Amino acid sequence: MVDPETGARGLHAVLHQSGPIPLAAEILCAPGEVLALVGPSGSGKSTLLRCIAGLYTPREGRVACSGETWLDTGGGIRLSPARRRIGMVFQNYALFPHLSALENVQEAMASPATPQARARALELLDKVHLEGLSARRPRELSGGQQQRVALARALARDPQALLLDEPFSAVDRATRERLYGELAELRRELRMPVVLVTHDLDEAVILADRLTLLSRGRSIQSGAPLEVMQRPATLEAARLAGIENLFSAQVLAHCPDGGFTLLAWNGDQVRARLQPAFPVGTRVAWAIHTAGVLLMPRNRPPRGRLDHPLEARVTGMLGLVDRVRVQVLVFGQAEQALTMSIPRHLVDRYAICEGGSIALRLRGEHIQVMPDEVSSASGPIQ
Amino acid sequence: MDWPALSLSLQLALATMLVLLPLGVWAGRTLAWGRFRGKALLEALLALPLVLPPTVLGFYLLVAMGGGSALGHWYQSITGHTLAFSFEGLLIASVLFNLPFAIQPMQRSFEAIALEVREAALCCGMSRWRILRRIELPLAWPGILSAMVLTFAHTLGEFGVVLMVGGSIPGETKTIAIAIYDRVQAFDTAAAGRMSAVLLGISLAAIGLSYLIRPSPGRVQHG
Amino acid sequence: MHAPKRALALSLTLLWACLSHAWAGSPVVAAAADLKFALEQVAAGFKAQGGGEVRLVFGSSGNLYRQILQGAPFGLFLSADEGFAVQLADAGMTQDRGVLYGVGRIGILVPPGGPLKADAELKGLAQALADGQVQRFAIANPEHAPYGQRAEEALRHAGLWDAIKGRLVFGENVAQAAQFALSGSAQGGVVAYSLALSPALAKQGDFALIPADWHAPLRQRMVLLAGADEATRAFYDHLQGPAARAVMERFGFILPDAP
Repeated sequence: MVDPETGARGLHAVLHQSGPIPLAAEILCAPGEVLALVGPSGSGKSTLLRCIAGLYTPREGRVACSGETWLDTGGGIRLSPARRRIGMVFQNYALFPHLSALENVQEAMASPATPQARARALELLDKVHLEGLSARRPRELSGGQQQRVALARALARDPQALLLDEPFSAVDRATRERLYGELAELRRELRMPVVLVTHDLDEAVILADRLTLLSRGRSIQSGAPLEVMQRPATLEAARLAGIENLFSAQVLAHCPDGGFTLLAWNGDQVRARLQPAFPVGTRVAWAIHTAGVLLMPRNRPPRGRLDHPLEARVTGMLGLVDRVRVQVLVFGQAEQALTMSIPRHLVDRYAICEGGSIALRLRGEHIQVMPDEVSSASGPIQ
Repeated sequence: MDWPALSLSLQLALATMLVLLPLGVWAGRTLAWGRFRGKALLEALLALPLVLPPTVLGFYLLVAMGGGSALGHWYQSITGHTLAFSFEGLLIASVLFNLPFAIQPMQRSFEAIALEVREAALCCGMSRWRILRRIELPLAWPGILSAMVLTFAHTLGEFGVVLMVGGSIPGETKTIAIAIYDRVQAFDTAAAGRMSAVLLGISLAAIGLSYLIRPSPGRVQHG
Repeated sequence: MHAPKRALALSLTLLWACLSHAWAGSPVVAAAADLKFALEQVAAGFKAQGGGEVRLVFGSSGNLYRQILQGAPFGLFLSADEGFAVQLADAGMTQDRGVLYGVGRIGILVPPGGPLKADAELKGLAQALADGQVQRFAIANPEHAPYGQRAEEALRHAGLWDAIKGRLVFGENVAQAAQFALSGSAQGGVVAYSLALSPALAKQGDFALIPADWHAPLRQRMVLLAGADEATRAFYDHLQGPAARAVMERFGFILPDAP
């Protein structure tokens, strides 16, 4: 993975361990790229980050960045975190409480006591929009401000990799949204690989170029965020990506000319995006993101090529600020539950209410076919 | 007022503090963050002088460094005089007896430093020495100071061990606590009263200082 | 890093100060507690004559004997019971067998105004015991203090030991016994004559000598220890001179013939 612009190589980590915390992951991040490691708590994502930082050593592993080998359990190489040029931002900021913001940033530099270091530290604090606050102690700063200091400190080292461990989880929503914007702005200048650990899928979509789903220390799927979220390769990935609409079907036919695959589901025939990898006649699982379940518009409904109309009854509604999550039961061979997300103004316009009927359509482009796991452990497959 | 005795006590207290400062910092740090087998047993052993009668410690010290012991003989062969009944012997006794007073407050204040803060220091590229100097010691200094003050006050007050191991030789092992005992036996209550008042004043000041510098509940957790 | 170097230098300096002071210092004399006031006067006289500082350590003779065996750095030992001095000589720890410096006496000491009256035959004590008026009575610890042993002998001789032994308070040495006797928490005690004669005690209580034949004699011997220096020897010689003997006599010691 050589970055053509800078000629530098990115971050590559391969980590294996059966216990006490199971790990079996490979992480690749190119310079200037933001990789999000996403998974529920206990998925080992923080542990993986700490392995890269050098705060934790797995039984077996190799970590290399910009051509330097930081860890090689086979070859007996193990650099301490101080010897690896990393910048790390911790969940609870971990600022030095007895030093000012400026001193916090200066400490991360090679010769902290020099005037050049001071000037550079001030520059970094300006860059994170903390000008004027350099003399304050951490306890005199808000959560968002502390996080910015932590970021400036991480960058002070001119690191070869920037590691962020759930950096926004301790911050309130409004501040978080602002920080997303600032980080997005900042990363245009960052030339190093950036690895972001988060349990928040939306955050990953906003900030990351690539996303790796993790479960129990294993990397399940990697790719562009939207791609992974809307086209999970397996049922496990689909669940990790937060997709609730998971169903079972049988492949009837593939139609390359029409660009679709025909599935038998719920006593009906549904057209999905062409996915010829699955042999005709096999039982498969399929998923559709809430983005692919839409209301049927009144009055001359336009139909997309792969749209599949459905009638359903509303069984539950959960109101959010600007959308409503609606649970419906689809009529058919058996009752199938579906979740959709409808903007409030449409809910009002169509007078959608609990117990009422609703006309909706599935967009076949969003149907993702996956191998059926007969012995899958959890999840609502219908 | 037995000035030589007071001066001797102050010298002993100062010397004990000087020995226990680096020892306490090292032990306090290791016990605060280390995880190793037998740690609980080690902590119990180090806390023993808190509950041990001074005469028990005095007895074992006499056995270990008195005239008949191997250590005593070795010391005598090098320096020409005994280890027991000497200032050096008192210093050894004092250091041993003050171990928990020095180590425990330091250990608590090192424990109060969040692990994340130390990890962050490592990730900032700071060397272990620099982390000790710039992060750990400044954050732990209330505990260190408290430990030193307690050691100082406790050493001034030592009596049982000094009596058993020291022998009350003026200018050498006759500390002010012993001098008070001696003056009472000599029916010189005036002198005994003066020296006791001085010792009371110093001890009160020391313990008051250690309570003043203890971190208040409001700002206990760092990081 | 300067701080640890400075600390090291400071501690080494302190250590050197400790090591160097006192070891090249004045003589250290171990003396039985009955000599507490007498010997201080003699030492003052010695200093006034230009003999220099002498450091005195008082305790029970048995205790001091034990400490010397363990290597305590005394130069001269004045024992209230010559037996201890002789044992040290036999063990080869002394320069010679020393000299007898006096014979001590014991007596009963009581605070004024108490239920106990001091008299030579201990009749007052017997009476008070019978009346149940004696809760506590102080003597030196017979285990290691010669004055305590003699006190026990005297009390046995008077037939009072069984009655009184349950009420005894033991001083670590005879000076502490005297302090207990007059402290108000005991009704009296048996202490050294030399202590009772001292200015500090004389006005604090009533004293009566106990007959010398009621107990083994308190032959007191002093001996120079091996390794004693010139200054110590000078003091030892002074102790046998007329000025010192006069002081001892004033404090009730029966002196041996002049050397």
